[in-house]
Amino acid sequence: MKPPRHPWLLTAVATLITAAFLLPVYWMAKTSLTPPDRILTPSPQWVPAPLTGENYSTALDYEGLPRALLNSLVISSGVVAVTLLLGVPLAYALARVPMRGSGGMVLALLVAQLPPAIVLAAPLFILERRAGLDDTYVGLIAADTTLTLPFTVIVLRPVLRSIPRELEEAALVDGCGLLGVLLRVVLPLMVPGLVAAAGLAFLIGWGEFLFGLTLAAGPDVQPVTVLLNAFVGQHGTSWGALMATATLISLPVVCVFALFQRFIVGGLTAGSVRG
Amino acid sequence: MRHRRAPSTHRRRAGYLFCLPGMAFLALFLAYPLLYNIWTSVHDVELSSLLGGAERFNGLENYRAVVDDAAFWHSVRLSLIFTIGSLVLQFILGFALALLFVRPFPLNGLLRSLLLVAWLLPPVVSGTLFRWLLDAESGAYNALLRAVGLGSLSHDWLTDPSTSLAGVVFANIWVGVPFNMLLLLVGLHTIDPQLYEAAAIDGAGAWQRLRRITLPLMRPVSVTVLLLGLIYTFKVFDLIFVMTGGGPVDATRVLSLYVYEVFFKFFRFGQGAAAGLLLLVVPLLTGVWYVRRLRREEPAGGSA
Repeated sequence: MKPPRHPWLLTAVATLITAAFLLPVYWMAKTSLTPPDRILTPSPQWVPAPLTGENYSTALDYEGLPRALLNSLVISSGVVAVTLLLGVPLAYALARVPMRGSGGMVLALLVAQLPPAIVLAAPLFILERRAGLDDTYVGLIAADTTLTLPFTVIVLRPVLRSIPRELEEAALVDGCGLLGVLLRVVLPLMVPGLVAAAGLAFLIGWGEFLFGLTLAAGPDVQPVTVLLNAFVGQHGTSWGALMATATLISLPVVCVFALFQRFIVGGLTAGSVRG
Repeated sequence: MRHRRAPSTHRRRAGYLFCLPGMAFLALFLAYPLLYNIWTSVHDVELSSLLGGAERFNGLENYRAVVDDAAFWHSVRLSLIFTIGSLVLQFILGFALALLFVRPFPLNGLLRSLLLVAWLLPPVVSGTLFRWLLDAESGAYNALLRAVGLGSLSHDWLTDPSTSLAGVVFANIWVGVPFNMLLLLVGLHTIDPQLYEAAAIDGAGAWQRLRRITLPLMRPVSVTVLLLGLIYTFKVFDLIFVMTGGGPVDATRVLSLYVYEVFFKFFRFGQGAAAGLLLLVVPLLTGVWYVRRLRREEPAGGSA
Protein backbone atom coordinates (compact mmCIF):
# COMPACT_ATOMS: atom_id res chain seq x y z
CA MET A 1 0.00 0.00 0.00
CA LYS A 2 1.36 3.42 -0.87
CA PRO A 3 2.51 5.59 2.01
CA PRO A 4 -0.29 7.79 3.31
CA ARG A 5 -0.05 11.50 2.67
CA HIS A 6 -0.29 12.47 6.32
CA PRO A 7 1.17 9.61 8.34
CA TRP A 8 1.03 11.60 11.58
CA LEU A 9 -2.68 12.16 11.09
CA LEU A 10 -3.12 8.40 11.09
CA THR A 11 -0.97 8.20 14.21
CA ALA A 12 -3.25 10.72 15.88
CA VAL A 13 -6.39 8.77 14.92
CA ALA A 14 -4.87 5.47 16.02
CA THR A 15 -3.70 6.98 19.30
CA LEU A 16 -7.17 8.28 20.06
CA ILE A 17 -8.75 4.92 19.29
CA THR A 18 -6.17 3.06 21.36
CA ALA A 19 -6.66 5.43 24.28
CA ALA A 20 -10.44 5.02 24.17
CA PHE A 21 -10.09 1.27 23.84
CA LEU A 22 -7.74 1.01 26.79
CA LEU A 23 -9.86 3.22 29.02
CA PRO A 24 -10.86 0.16 31.11
CA VAL A 25 -7.22 -0.67 31.84
CA TYR A 26 -6.53 2.93 32.80
CA TRP A 27 -9.63 2.90 34.99
CA MET A 28 -8.41 -0.20 36.78
CA ALA A 29 -5.04 1.35 37.60
CA LYS A 30 -6.63 4.71 38.40
CA THR A 31 -9.16 3.24 40.82
CA SER A 32 -6.45 1.22 42.53
CA LEU A 33 -4.55 4.45 43.26
CA THR A 34 -7.51 6.57 44.36
CA PRO A 35 -8.27 7.09 48.06
CA PRO A 36 -11.14 4.72 48.99
CA ASP A 37 -13.52 7.49 50.07
CA ARG A 38 -13.29 9.15 46.66
CA ILE A 39 -14.07 6.08 44.60
CA LEU A 40 -17.80 5.62 45.12
CA THR A 41 -19.00 8.94 43.84
CA PRO A 42 -21.49 9.73 41.06
CA SER A 43 -18.91 11.92 39.35
CA PRO A 44 -15.62 10.02 39.49
CA GLN A 45 -12.33 11.85 39.09
CA TRP A 46 -10.51 11.13 35.85
CA VAL A 47 -7.14 11.63 37.44
CA PRO A 48 -6.54 10.30 40.93
CA ALA A 49 -5.46 12.97 43.39
CA PRO A 50 -3.92 12.48 45.82
CA LEU A 51 -2.30 9.23 44.75
CA THR A 52 -2.42 6.57 47.42
CA GLY A 53 -1.11 3.07 48.00
CA GLU A 54 -3.79 2.45 50.60
CA ASN A 55 -5.82 0.07 48.41
CA TYR A 56 -2.79 -2.10 47.86
CA SER A 57 -2.08 -2.46 51.55
CA THR A 58 -5.76 -3.21 52.18
CA ALA A 59 -5.74 -5.88 49.49
CA LEU A 60 -2.52 -7.46 50.72
CA ASP A 61 -4.02 -7.58 54.20
CA TYR A 62 -7.02 -9.54 52.89
CA GLU A 63 -6.75 -13.14 53.85
CA GLY A 64 -4.72 -15.21 51.48
CA LEU A 65 -3.68 -12.75 48.77
CA PRO A 66 0.12 -13.14 49.13
CA ARG A 67 -0.30 -16.89 49.37
CA ALA A 68 -2.53 -16.98 46.29
CA LEU A 69 -0.05 -14.92 44.29
CA LEU A 70 2.64 -17.40 45.28
CA ASN A 71 0.39 -20.32 44.31
CA SER A 72 -0.21 -18.81 40.90
CA LEU A 73 3.50 -18.31 40.42
CA VAL A 74 4.22 -21.94 41.34
CA ILE A 75 1.44 -23.23 39.11
CA SER A 76 2.29 -21.14 36.07
CA SER A 77 6.03 -21.89 36.39
CA GLY A 78 5.17 -25.57 36.65
CA VAL A 79 2.97 -25.29 33.58
CA VAL A 80 5.80 -23.66 31.62
CA ALA A 81 8.29 -26.33 32.69
CA VAL A 82 6.06 -29.33 31.99
CA THR A 83 4.79 -27.86 28.73
CA LEU A 84 8.28 -27.29 27.34
CA LEU A 85 9.62 -30.59 28.66
CA LEU A 86 6.86 -32.57 26.97
CA GLY A 87 6.21 -30.21 24.07
CA VAL A 88 9.67 -29.59 22.63
CA PRO A 89 10.58 -33.24 21.91
CA LEU A 90 7.07 -33.86 20.62
CA ALA A 91 7.15 -30.86 18.31
CA TYR A 92 10.64 -31.78 17.14
CA ALA A 93 9.70 -35.36 16.28
CA LEU A 94 6.54 -34.20 14.50
CA ALA A 95 8.48 -31.57 12.57
CA ARG A 96 11.48 -33.62 11.54
CA VAL A 97 11.16 -37.37 11.89
CA PRO A 98 9.10 -39.10 9.22
CA MET A 99 6.89 -41.40 11.26
CA ARG A 100 3.76 -43.32 10.60
CA GLY A 101 0.95 -41.66 12.53
CA SER A 102 2.49 -38.21 12.75
CA GLY A 103 -0.34 -36.75 10.69
CA GLY A 104 -2.80 -38.35 13.08
CA MET A 105 -0.97 -36.90 16.05
CA VAL A 106 -1.03 -33.39 14.61
CA LEU A 107 -4.74 -33.77 13.98
CA ALA A 108 -5.22 -35.01 17.55
CA LEU A 109 -3.38 -31.94 18.84
CA LEU A 110 -5.66 -29.66 16.85
CA VAL A 111 -8.74 -31.45 18.13
CA ALA A 112 -7.36 -31.35 21.67
CA GLN A 113 -7.83 -27.57 21.66
CA LEU A 114 -11.55 -27.78 21.01
CA PRO A 115 -13.20 -29.04 24.20
CA PRO A 116 -14.48 -26.27 26.49
CA ALA A 117 -12.60 -26.30 29.80
CA ILE A 118 -15.78 -27.07 31.73
CA VAL A 119 -16.24 -30.33 29.81
CA LEU A 120 -12.78 -31.37 30.99
CA ALA A 121 -13.02 -29.92 34.49
CA ALA A 122 -16.03 -32.08 35.31
CA PRO A 123 -14.43 -35.52 34.79
CA LEU A 124 -11.06 -34.29 36.06
CA PHE A 125 -12.77 -33.31 39.30
CA ILE A 126 -13.88 -36.92 39.86
CA LEU A 127 -10.72 -38.56 38.53
CA GLU A 128 -8.21 -36.34 40.32
CA ARG A 129 -10.14 -36.82 43.51
CA ARG A 130 -9.95 -40.58 43.18
CA ALA A 131 -6.23 -40.37 42.39
CA GLY A 132 -5.60 -38.06 45.34
CA LEU A 133 -4.51 -35.26 43.00
CA ASP A 134 -7.29 -32.84 43.88
CA ASP A 135 -6.17 -29.81 45.82
CA THR A 136 -2.52 -30.25 44.82
CA TYR A 137 -0.17 -28.22 42.65
CA VAL A 138 0.43 -31.31 40.53
CA GLY A 139 -3.27 -31.71 39.81
CA LEU A 140 -3.62 -28.08 38.77
CA ILE A 141 -0.43 -28.02 36.71
CA ALA A 142 -1.53 -31.15 34.89
CA ALA A 143 -4.97 -29.71 34.18
CA ASP A 144 -3.54 -26.40 32.92
CA THR A 145 -1.00 -28.22 30.77
CA THR A 146 -3.83 -29.86 28.80
CA LEU A 147 -4.52 -26.31 27.57
CA THR A 148 -0.94 -25.29 26.85
CA LEU A 149 0.67 -28.44 25.46
CA PRO A 150 -1.33 -28.89 22.22
CA PHE A 151 -1.08 -25.19 21.51
CA THR A 152 2.67 -25.11 22.15
CA VAL A 153 3.39 -28.03 19.84
CA ILE A 154 1.33 -26.42 17.08
CA VAL A 155 3.26 -23.16 17.54
CA LEU A 156 6.70 -24.78 17.74
CA ARG A 157 6.38 -27.16 14.82
CA PRO A 158 6.74 -24.51 12.10
CA VAL A 159 9.56 -22.89 14.10
CA LEU A 160 11.44 -26.18 14.12
CA ARG A 161 10.79 -26.73 10.45
CA SER A 162 12.35 -23.41 9.57
CA ILE A 163 15.72 -24.47 11.01
CA PRO A 164 18.06 -25.49 8.16
CA ARG A 165 18.16 -29.26 7.96
CA GLU A 166 21.81 -29.31 6.93
CA LEU A 167 22.96 -28.30 10.40
CA GLU A 168 21.20 -31.24 11.98
CA GLU A 169 22.41 -33.68 9.37
CA ALA A 170 26.00 -32.68 9.94
CA ALA A 171 25.56 -33.42 13.62
CA LEU A 172 23.84 -36.74 12.84
CA VAL A 173 26.75 -37.74 10.63
CA ASP A 174 29.09 -36.87 13.47
CA GLY A 175 27.37 -39.55 15.48
CA CYS A 176 24.99 -37.51 17.59
CA GLY A 177 21.74 -39.27 18.48
CA LEU A 178 18.42 -37.53 17.95
CA LEU A 179 18.51 -36.25 21.52
CA GLY A 180 22.03 -34.90 21.04
CA VAL A 181 20.95 -33.07 17.89
CA LEU A 182 17.96 -31.58 19.65
CA LEU A 183 19.92 -30.41 22.68
CA ARG A 184 23.13 -29.25 21.02
CA VAL A 185 22.05 -28.03 17.61
CA VAL A 186 18.34 -27.33 17.54
CA LEU A 187 17.60 -25.83 20.95
CA PRO A 188 20.12 -22.97 20.66
CA LEU A 189 18.64 -22.11 17.26
CA MET A 190 15.05 -22.02 18.44
CA VAL A 191 15.45 -19.68 21.40
CA PRO A 192 12.98 -17.07 20.06
CA GLY A 193 10.36 -19.75 19.48
CA LEU A 194 10.99 -21.22 22.90
CA VAL A 195 10.65 -17.82 24.52
CA ALA A 196 7.33 -17.26 22.76
CA ALA A 197 6.06 -20.69 23.77
CA ALA A 198 7.19 -20.23 27.38
CA GLY A 199 5.63 -16.76 27.53
CA LEU A 200 2.30 -17.98 26.17
CA ALA A 201 2.25 -20.99 28.48
CA PHE A 202 2.95 -18.69 31.40
CA LEU A 203 0.14 -16.33 30.43
CA ILE A 204 -2.32 -19.19 30.10
CA GLY A 205 -1.27 -20.76 33.40
CA TRP A 206 -1.28 -17.43 35.23
CA GLY A 207 -4.73 -16.43 34.01
CA GLU A 208 -6.39 -19.83 34.30
CA PHE A 209 -9.52 -19.79 36.42
CA LEU A 210 -11.90 -22.70 35.95
CA PHE A 211 -9.54 -25.52 36.91
CA GLY A 212 -8.45 -23.48 39.92
CA LEU A 213 -12.10 -23.02 40.86
CA THR A 214 -13.04 -26.67 40.55
CA LEU A 215 -9.86 -28.63 41.36
CA ALA A 216 -8.47 -26.60 44.27
CA ALA A 217 -10.52 -26.88 47.42
CA GLY A 218 -8.60 -24.65 49.79
CA PRO A 219 -6.28 -21.66 50.07
CA ASP A 220 -3.15 -23.84 50.07
CA VAL A 221 -3.01 -24.22 46.31
CA GLN A 222 -5.74 -21.83 45.14
CA PRO A 223 -4.57 -19.53 42.32
CA VAL A 224 -5.01 -15.79 42.65
CA THR A 225 -7.63 -15.65 39.90
CA VAL A 226 -9.97 -17.71 42.07
CA LEU A 227 -9.26 -15.52 45.05
CA LEU A 228 -10.05 -12.36 43.08
CA ASN A 229 -13.44 -13.82 42.21
CA ALA A 230 -14.01 -14.66 45.88
CA PHE A 231 -13.04 -11.10 46.85
CA VAL A 232 -15.70 -9.75 44.50
CA GLY A 233 -18.23 -11.67 46.57
CA GLN A 234 -16.78 -10.80 49.98
CA HIS A 235 -15.70 -7.19 49.49
CA GLY A 236 -18.30 -6.29 46.88
CA THR A 237 -18.01 -2.53 46.94
CA SER A 238 -14.39 -2.09 48.02
CA TRP A 239 -13.50 -1.35 44.44
CA GLY A 240 -10.19 0.23 45.37
CA ALA A 241 -8.85 -2.95 46.91
CA LEU A 242 -10.45 -5.12 44.21
CA MET A 243 -8.83 -3.06 41.46
CA ALA A 244 -5.53 -3.16 43.36
CA THR A 245 -5.76 -6.96 43.34
CA ALA A 246 -6.69 -6.98 39.66
CA THR A 247 -3.75 -4.70 38.89
CA LEU A 248 -1.38 -6.95 40.84
CA ILE A 249 -2.58 -9.91 38.75
CA SER A 250 -2.19 -7.93 35.53
CA LEU A 251 1.33 -6.69 36.17
CA PRO A 252 3.14 -9.97 35.38
CA VAL A 253 0.97 -10.35 32.27
CA VAL A 254 1.91 -6.92 31.00
CA CYS A 255 5.59 -7.45 31.90
CA VAL A 256 5.83 -10.82 30.17
CA PHE A 257 4.10 -9.41 27.13
CA ALA A 258 6.25 -6.27 27.04
CA LEU A 259 9.45 -8.29 27.27
CA PHE A 260 8.60 -10.93 24.69
CA GLN A 261 6.06 -9.01 22.64
CA ARG A 262 7.58 -9.65 19.23
CA PHE A 263 7.93 -13.40 19.77
CA ILE A 264 4.50 -13.78 21.29
CA VAL A 265 2.64 -12.00 18.52
CA GLY A 266 4.50 -14.08 15.95
CA GLY A 267 3.74 -17.29 17.81
CA LEU A 268 0.08 -16.41 18.21
CA THR A 269 -0.54 -15.72 14.57
CA ALA A 270 1.47 -18.74 13.47
CA GLY A 271 -0.42 -20.99 15.85
CA SER A 272 -3.89 -19.85 14.91
CA VAL A 273 -3.82 -19.15 11.22
CA ARG A 274 -1.59 -21.89 9.97
CA GLY A 275 -2.43 -24.61 12.44
CA MET B 1 11.32 -31.94 -2.30
CA ARG B 2 14.48 -33.91 -3.01
CA HIS B 3 14.78 -37.49 -1.89
CA ARG B 4 17.15 -37.96 0.97
CA ARG B 5 18.55 -41.18 2.31
CA ALA B 6 15.97 -43.37 3.94
CA PRO B 7 15.61 -42.52 7.60
CA SER B 8 17.07 -45.23 9.74
CA THR B 9 14.76 -47.25 11.90
CA HIS B 10 16.88 -46.07 14.77
CA ARG B 11 15.97 -42.48 14.08
CA ARG B 12 12.32 -43.34 13.72
CA ARG B 13 12.34 -45.20 17.00
CA ALA B 14 13.90 -42.17 18.69
CA GLY B 15 11.15 -40.06 17.14
CA TYR B 16 8.45 -42.21 18.67
CA LEU B 17 10.21 -42.00 22.00
CA PHE B 18 10.18 -38.22 21.71
CA CYS B 19 6.43 -38.26 21.13
CA LEU B 20 5.65 -40.70 23.87
CA PRO B 21 5.76 -38.53 27.04
CA GLY B 22 3.66 -35.73 25.58
CA MET B 23 1.10 -37.98 23.94
CA ALA B 24 0.89 -40.20 27.02
CA PHE B 25 0.27 -37.12 29.14
CA LEU B 26 -2.54 -35.98 26.87
CA ALA B 27 -4.00 -39.45 26.78
CA LEU B 28 -4.06 -39.56 30.57
CA PHE B 29 -5.23 -36.04 31.37
CA LEU B 30 -7.26 -35.13 28.31
CA ALA B 31 -8.46 -38.13 26.31
CA TYR B 32 -9.19 -40.40 29.24
CA PRO B 33 -11.20 -37.80 31.19
CA LEU B 34 -13.23 -37.02 28.08
CA LEU B 35 -13.96 -40.70 27.52
CA TYR B 36 -14.76 -41.04 31.20
CA ASN B 37 -17.21 -38.20 30.69
CA ILE B 38 -19.03 -40.30 28.12
CA TRP B 39 -19.15 -43.19 30.58
CA THR B 40 -20.48 -40.86 33.30
CA SER B 41 -23.13 -39.52 30.97
CA VAL B 42 -24.80 -42.94 30.69
CA HIS B 43 -24.61 -43.74 34.39
CA ASP B 44 -26.44 -42.54 37.43
CA VAL B 45 -23.57 -40.78 39.18
CA GLU B 46 -24.15 -38.57 42.20
CA LEU B 47 -22.00 -37.12 44.92
CA SER B 48 -22.15 -40.38 46.90
CA SER B 49 -20.37 -42.17 44.06
CA LEU B 50 -17.25 -40.22 44.91
CA LEU B 51 -17.23 -41.95 48.26
CA GLY B 52 -17.29 -45.35 46.62
CA GLY B 53 -20.95 -46.05 45.87
CA ALA B 54 -21.82 -48.13 42.82
CA GLU B 55 -23.00 -46.36 39.69
CA ARG B 56 -25.98 -47.74 37.86
CA PHE B 57 -26.08 -47.79 34.05
CA ASN B 58 -29.08 -45.76 33.01
CA GLY B 59 -28.79 -45.49 29.24
CA LEU B 60 -29.87 -42.20 27.80
CA GLU B 61 -31.78 -41.09 30.88
CA ASN B 62 -29.30 -38.29 31.66
CA TYR B 63 -29.57 -36.97 28.14
CA ARG B 64 -33.36 -37.09 28.37
CA ALA B 65 -33.24 -35.17 31.65
CA VAL B 66 -31.12 -32.48 29.99
CA VAL B 67 -33.23 -32.21 26.86
CA ASP B 68 -36.40 -32.05 28.95
CA ASP B 69 -34.97 -29.23 31.05
CA ALA B 70 -36.32 -25.88 29.93
CA ALA B 71 -33.29 -24.22 31.56
CA PHE B 72 -31.04 -26.11 29.14
CA TRP B 73 -32.78 -24.69 26.10
CA HIS B 74 -32.77 -21.26 27.67
CA SER B 75 -28.98 -21.62 27.99
CA VAL B 76 -28.66 -22.73 24.38
CA ARG B 77 -30.52 -19.61 23.31
CA LEU B 78 -28.32 -17.39 25.48
CA SER B 79 -25.17 -19.05 24.16
CA LEU B 80 -26.30 -18.41 20.60
CA ILE B 81 -27.09 -14.76 21.26
CA PHE B 82 -23.85 -14.27 23.19
CA THR B 83 -21.76 -15.96 20.51
CA ILE B 84 -23.33 -14.34 17.48
CA GLY B 85 -23.47 -10.89 19.10
CA SER B 86 -19.83 -11.09 20.17
CA LEU B 87 -18.60 -12.54 16.88
CA VAL B 88 -20.27 -10.07 14.57
CA LEU B 89 -19.19 -6.97 16.47
CA GLN B 90 -15.70 -8.26 17.28
CA PHE B 91 -15.20 -9.02 13.64
CA ILE B 92 -16.47 -5.70 12.31
CA LEU B 93 -14.48 -3.64 14.83
CA GLY B 94 -11.42 -5.85 14.38
CA PHE B 95 -11.65 -5.46 10.61
CA ALA B 96 -11.95 -1.68 10.86
CA LEU B 97 -8.92 -1.52 13.12
CA ALA B 98 -6.96 -3.83 10.84
CA LEU B 99 -7.72 -1.53 7.88
CA LEU B 100 -6.29 1.34 9.90
CA PHE B 101 -3.23 -0.50 11.15
CA VAL B 102 -2.32 -2.04 7.80
CA ARG B 103 -1.23 1.42 6.68
CA PRO B 104 2.25 2.50 7.67
CA PHE B 105 2.42 5.33 10.18
CA PRO B 106 4.70 6.27 13.06
CA LEU B 107 4.12 4.32 16.30
CA ASN B 108 2.00 1.74 14.45
CA GLY B 109 3.69 -1.23 16.12
CA LEU B 110 3.56 0.24 19.60
CA LEU B 111 -0.13 1.13 19.45
CA ARG B 112 -1.01 -2.25 17.98
CA SER B 113 0.76 -4.01 20.83
CA LEU B 114 -0.98 -1.85 23.40
CA LEU B 115 -4.34 -2.90 21.98
CA LEU B 116 -3.41 -6.53 22.48
CA VAL B 117 -3.18 -6.00 26.23
CA ALA B 118 -6.98 -6.17 26.36
CA TRP B 119 -6.87 -9.66 24.92
CA LEU B 120 -4.07 -10.88 27.17
CA LEU B 121 -5.52 -9.88 30.52
CA PRO B 122 -6.83 -12.88 32.43
CA PRO B 123 -10.61 -13.10 31.84
CA VAL B 124 -11.17 -12.96 35.59
CA VAL B 125 -9.44 -9.59 35.68
CA SER B 126 -11.41 -8.21 32.74
CA GLY B 127 -14.61 -9.59 34.24
CA THR B 128 -14.00 -7.89 37.58
CA LEU B 129 -12.97 -4.75 35.78
CA PHE B 130 -16.14 -4.57 33.67
CA ARG B 131 -18.26 -5.23 36.73
CA TRP B 132 -16.79 -2.07 38.13
CA LEU B 133 -16.96 -0.10 34.86
CA LEU B 134 -20.65 -0.97 34.46
CA ASP B 135 -21.48 -0.20 38.09
CA ALA B 136 -24.71 1.76 38.50
CA GLU B 137 -23.60 4.73 40.56
CA SER B 138 -19.89 5.22 40.13
CA GLY B 139 -19.08 3.13 37.07
CA ALA B 140 -16.98 4.83 34.43
CA TYR B 141 -19.41 4.18 31.57
CA ASN B 142 -22.39 5.63 33.37
CA ALA B 143 -20.27 8.62 34.38
CA LEU B 144 -19.29 8.98 30.74
CA LEU B 145 -22.93 8.89 29.65
CA ARG B 146 -23.82 11.55 32.21
CA ALA B 147 -20.85 13.67 31.14
CA VAL B 148 -22.07 13.80 27.52
CA GLY B 149 -25.65 14.52 28.54
CA LEU B 150 -27.04 11.02 28.06
CA GLY B 151 -27.55 10.55 31.78
CA SER B 152 -31.02 9.15 31.14
CA LEU B 153 -29.41 6.07 29.57
CA SER B 154 -27.21 5.35 32.56
CA HIS B 155 -28.35 2.48 34.68
CA ASP B 156 -27.32 -0.69 36.44
CA TRP B 157 -26.36 -2.69 33.37
CA LEU B 158 -25.48 -5.99 34.98
CA THR B 159 -28.22 -6.31 37.57
CA ASP B 160 -31.02 -5.44 35.18
CA PRO B 161 -32.03 -8.73 33.51
CA SER B 162 -32.89 -6.96 30.27
CA THR B 163 -29.40 -5.50 29.82
CA SER B 164 -27.09 -7.94 31.63
CA LEU B 165 -26.53 -10.09 28.54
CA ALA B 166 -25.66 -6.97 26.55
CA GLY B 167 -23.23 -6.09 29.35
CA VAL B 168 -21.32 -9.37 29.13
CA VAL B 169 -21.35 -9.27 25.33
CA PHE B 170 -19.91 -5.76 25.52
CA ALA B 171 -17.07 -6.95 27.75
CA ASN B 172 -16.42 -9.97 25.55
CA ILE B 173 -16.25 -7.81 22.43
CA TRP B 174 -13.61 -5.71 24.17
CA VAL B 175 -11.61 -8.85 24.88
CA GLY B 176 -11.94 -10.23 21.35
CA VAL B 177 -11.40 -7.20 19.12
CA PRO B 178 -7.57 -7.16 19.33
CA PHE B 179 -7.35 -10.84 18.43
CA ASN B 180 -9.58 -10.37 15.40
CA MET B 181 -7.57 -7.34 14.39
CA LEU B 182 -4.28 -9.21 14.67
CA LEU B 183 -5.34 -12.15 12.50
CA LEU B 184 -7.10 -9.96 9.93
CA LEU B 185 -4.01 -7.78 9.76
CA VAL B 186 -1.94 -10.82 8.79
CA GLY B 187 -4.45 -11.43 6.00
CA LEU B 188 -4.41 -7.83 4.80
CA HIS B 189 -0.64 -7.84 4.57
CA THR B 190 -0.78 -10.71 2.07
CA ILE B 191 -2.78 -8.69 -0.46
CA ASP B 192 -0.60 -7.57 -3.35
CA PRO B 193 -0.27 -3.74 -3.17
CA GLN B 194 -0.08 -3.59 -6.96
CA LEU B 195 -3.75 -4.51 -7.10
CA TYR B 196 -4.60 -1.29 -5.28
CA GLU B 197 -2.27 0.74 -7.44
CA ALA B 198 -3.79 -0.65 -10.60
CA ALA B 199 -7.28 0.01 -9.31
CA ALA B 200 -6.35 3.56 -8.32
CA ILE B 201 -5.00 4.21 -11.81
CA ASP B 202 -8.29 2.93 -13.19
CA GLY B 203 -9.97 5.56 -11.06
CA ALA B 204 -11.41 3.35 -8.32
CA GLY B 205 -12.15 5.27 -5.14
CA ALA B 206 -11.29 4.09 -1.65
CA TRP B 207 -14.74 2.58 -1.12
CA GLN B 208 -14.64 0.70 -4.40
CA ARG B 209 -11.15 -0.61 -3.68
CA LEU B 210 -12.41 -1.91 -0.34
CA ARG B 211 -15.47 -3.56 -1.89
CA ARG B 212 -13.89 -4.92 -5.05
CA ILE B 213 -10.42 -5.91 -3.84
CA THR B 214 -10.06 -6.08 -0.08
CA LEU B 215 -13.29 -7.78 0.88
CA PRO B 216 -13.26 -10.55 -1.76
CA LEU B 217 -9.59 -11.33 -1.15
CA MET B 218 -10.09 -11.37 2.61
CA ARG B 219 -12.86 -13.96 2.44
CA PRO B 220 -10.75 -17.03 3.26
CA VAL B 221 -8.99 -15.35 6.18
CA SER B 222 -12.29 -13.97 7.41
CA VAL B 223 -13.88 -17.40 7.45
CA THR B 224 -10.90 -18.74 9.41
CA VAL B 225 -11.08 -15.91 11.91
CA LEU B 226 -14.82 -16.36 12.37
CA LEU B 227 -14.49 -20.12 12.83
CA LEU B 228 -11.79 -19.68 15.46
CA GLY B 229 -13.86 -16.97 17.10
CA LEU B 230 -16.88 -19.27 17.15
CA ILE B 231 -14.89 -21.98 18.92
CA TYR B 232 -13.46 -19.55 21.49
CA THR B 233 -16.63 -17.60 22.10
CA PHE B 234 -18.89 -20.60 22.52
CA LYS B 235 -16.58 -21.82 25.29
CA VAL B 236 -16.43 -18.58 27.28
CA PHE B 237 -16.93 -19.25 30.97
CA ASP B 238 -14.63 -17.18 33.20
CA LEU B 239 -15.70 -13.76 32.00
CA ILE B 240 -19.43 -14.34 32.43
CA PHE B 241 -19.03 -16.28 35.66
CA VAL B 242 -17.11 -13.42 37.24
CA MET B 243 -19.30 -10.65 35.85
CA THR B 244 -22.74 -12.02 36.67
CA GLY B 245 -22.44 -15.63 37.83
CA GLY B 246 -25.11 -16.36 35.22
CA GLY B 247 -27.59 -13.97 36.76
CA PRO B 248 -29.57 -11.98 37.51
CA VAL B 249 -31.59 -15.19 37.99
CA ASP B 250 -30.66 -16.88 34.73
CA ALA B 251 -30.38 -13.95 32.33
CA THR B 252 -26.75 -14.69 31.40
CA ARG B 253 -26.54 -18.40 32.21
CA VAL B 254 -24.99 -19.55 28.94
CA LEU B 255 -24.40 -23.24 28.23
CA SER B 256 -20.98 -23.47 29.89
CA LEU B 257 -22.40 -21.98 33.10
CA TYR B 258 -25.38 -24.32 32.92
CA VAL B 259 -23.04 -27.32 32.77
CA TYR B 260 -21.06 -25.91 35.68
CA GLU B 261 -24.18 -25.52 37.80
CA VAL B 262 -25.55 -28.99 37.11
CA PHE B 263 -22.19 -30.54 37.85
CA PHE B 264 -20.61 -28.47 40.59
CA LYS B 265 -23.62 -26.90 42.28
CA PHE B 266 -26.16 -29.71 42.20
CA PHE B 267 -23.57 -32.50 41.92
CA ARG B 268 -25.66 -34.30 39.32
CA PHE B 269 -22.58 -35.73 37.64
CA GLY B 270 -24.32 -37.95 35.11
CA GLN B 271 -26.57 -35.19 33.89
CA GLY B 272 -23.71 -32.68 33.95
CA ALA B 273 -21.59 -34.99 31.82
CA ALA B 274 -24.43 -35.38 29.33
CA ALA B 275 -24.93 -31.62 29.15
CA GLY B 276 -21.18 -31.15 28.75
CA LEU B 277 -21.08 -33.49 25.79
CA LEU B 278 -23.93 -31.57 24.20
CA LEU B 279 -21.89 -28.40 24.77
CA LEU B 280 -18.99 -30.07 22.98
CA VAL B 281 -20.98 -30.52 19.78
CA VAL B 282 -20.65 -26.96 18.47
CA PRO B 283 -16.87 -26.54 18.95
CA LEU B 284 -16.28 -30.03 17.62
CA LEU B 285 -18.28 -29.52 14.43
CA THR B 286 -16.71 -26.10 13.93
CA GLY B 287 -13.30 -27.61 14.55
CA VAL B 288 -13.81 -30.34 11.98
CA TRP B 289 -14.81 -27.72 9.44
CA TYR B 290 -11.77 -25.61 10.36
CA VAL B 291 -9.31 -28.50 10.06
CA ARG B 292 -10.77 -29.50 6.72
CA ARG B 293 -10.26 -25.96 5.46
CA LEU B 294 -6.66 -25.97 6.70
CA ARG B 295 -6.02 -29.22 4.88
CA ARG B 296 -7.46 -27.86 1.69
CA GLU B 297 -5.41 -24.68 1.84
CA GLU B 298 -2.16 -26.33 2.81
CA PRO B 299 -0.97 -27.47 -0.64
CA ALA B 300 -1.70 -24.05 -2.11
CA GLY B 301 -0.47 -21.94 0.77
CA GLY B 302 2.56 -24.11 1.46
CA SER B 303 3.53 -25.03 5.00
CA ALA B 304 6.51 -22.95 5.95
